[in-house]
Amino acid sequence: MTTVLVADDDADIRDLVAFKLEQAGFEVIAVEDGQTAVEQARSRQPTLAVLDVSMPGLSGIDVCRMLRSEPATAGILIIMLTARVQEQDVEGGFSAGADDYVTKPFSPRELVSRIQALLSRARA
Amino acid sequence: MFELFSVTMVALLVVVAGTAAGIVVVRIWRRVRNNRLAALAAGPRRALLAFVADNGEEGSEDLIAIPDDAWRASLPAALGLLGKLRGDAHAALVSVFLHRGAARAALADLHARSGVRRARAAQLLGDLELREAVPDLCGLLTDRDHEVRVVAVRALGRIGDAKAAWRLIASLDQHDPVPSLLATHALVQMGRDAEVVLSAALDHPQARVRAVCLDALGLIGATGAVGRMARVLAEDDILDVRVAAAANLGRLGARGALKPLVDALDPPAPDLLRAASARALGDLGAPAAVPALAAHLDDGEFQIAHEAAQSLRRLGGPGLVELRSRDNDHCREALALAEPELVGAA
Repeated sequence: MTTVLVADDDADIRDLVAFKLEQAGFEVIAVEDGQTAVEQARSRQPTLAVLDVSMPGLSGIDVCRMLRSEPATAGILIIMLTARVQEQDVEGGFSAGADDYVTKPFSPRELVSRIQALLSRARA
Repeated sequence: MFELFSVTMVALLVVVAGTAAGIVVVRIWRRVRNNRLAALAAGPRRALLAFVADNGEEGSEDLIAIPDDAWRASLPAALGLLGKLRGDAHAALVSVFLHRGAARAALADLHARSGVRRARAAQLLGDLELREAVPDLCGLLTDRDHEVRVVAVRALGRIGDAKAAWRLIASLDQHDPVPSLLATHALVQMGRDAEVVLSAALDHPQARVRAVCLDALGLIGATGAVGRMARVLAEDDILDVRVAAAANLGRLGARGALKPLVDALDPPAPDLLRAASARALGDLGAPAAVPALAAHLDDGEFQIAHEAAQSLRRLGGPGLVELRSRDNDHCREALALAEPELVGAA
């Protein structure tokens, strides 16, 4: 089963994304801050991570950069999830190594589709 | 004397003990209340998450039937989700709110005496994307409370109905207006339908209003407004507005923006505007701008030559050829950014 790490400090969004992904057949690790996300990524080696950009402590972009810098976690696919729609934030996410970007307000169905598309591309 | 001191001390002790006991009681009461609310909200919250995750295909009757006290307890979660979702999931959640009479209550609350209630109501109506609420929300654009006005602008942006564009623009011309970026974002959310109003507002007497409208037109991609924006670039009385016109003409990427921007590269245009036009020509992405930019690589004004070189770099192929053919610091700097591997090799 494909494992997805979901990191978001907003409990409602975190639980919704986790619920939707579990429904779609993924195993989900849900965490509420960046530091725990890094620790879980190192220990559990998920296939994909959905990271909220604005989290207390380490931001999603910091987490993305840290995962990309370590050989053990560099291959994890990363989708950034954020309320920020400014161009520089999108660029910041991509330059940190994110594979895709979803902005809030978001559609849970679209998020799952993006995850599945990213996984398909990675397998191809 | 000693007796008076003792009585005072005892009275103080009683006050301190009473206050401490009061604090403990209030804290316990709050904890009990929060636990009770959390328990009350747990079931509806689960149902809410399942409903939204399923894009509202099943379970709306269950949510509508939730008793009022349980719904109130789960309302923070429902409101949080409402503001962060779009698509089918959002539409489904909106239908639940409407069935529960939330829109009617919020419309009434827009006229509440409390600013907090007015702001909450405006936010809910915006999150519900309720077009019927637009006239009432426009009324809040002149609210006495600045925070309420800010929330009203956000709500109108989220609803995205261009009918509110003129009222929003007019509200910028008042004492203590909402921040320009917020107004621009809301106008952009109204999309191309707001283009005519935004173009007309380029004749507004307030420079700030004209600048906001220029930014909105540029971000919307209003190519039909190129002529009016070019007129502002050439004729506006305020330099900052002309600079905004240049930046947004570049952002549009329209063929019609090329000539006005090239014309603004030379005196008598002020240096600040000439530099902004050079930068905008790079954003425009038209290879036809290469000769005009190349002619300014040796401009006596540092900023203009610098922007011309950076724009040639951003134009790619033909621009890079021009940079390689010249021998000055601006060209070398631009090439170093375009071809970092060559700098590393050197």
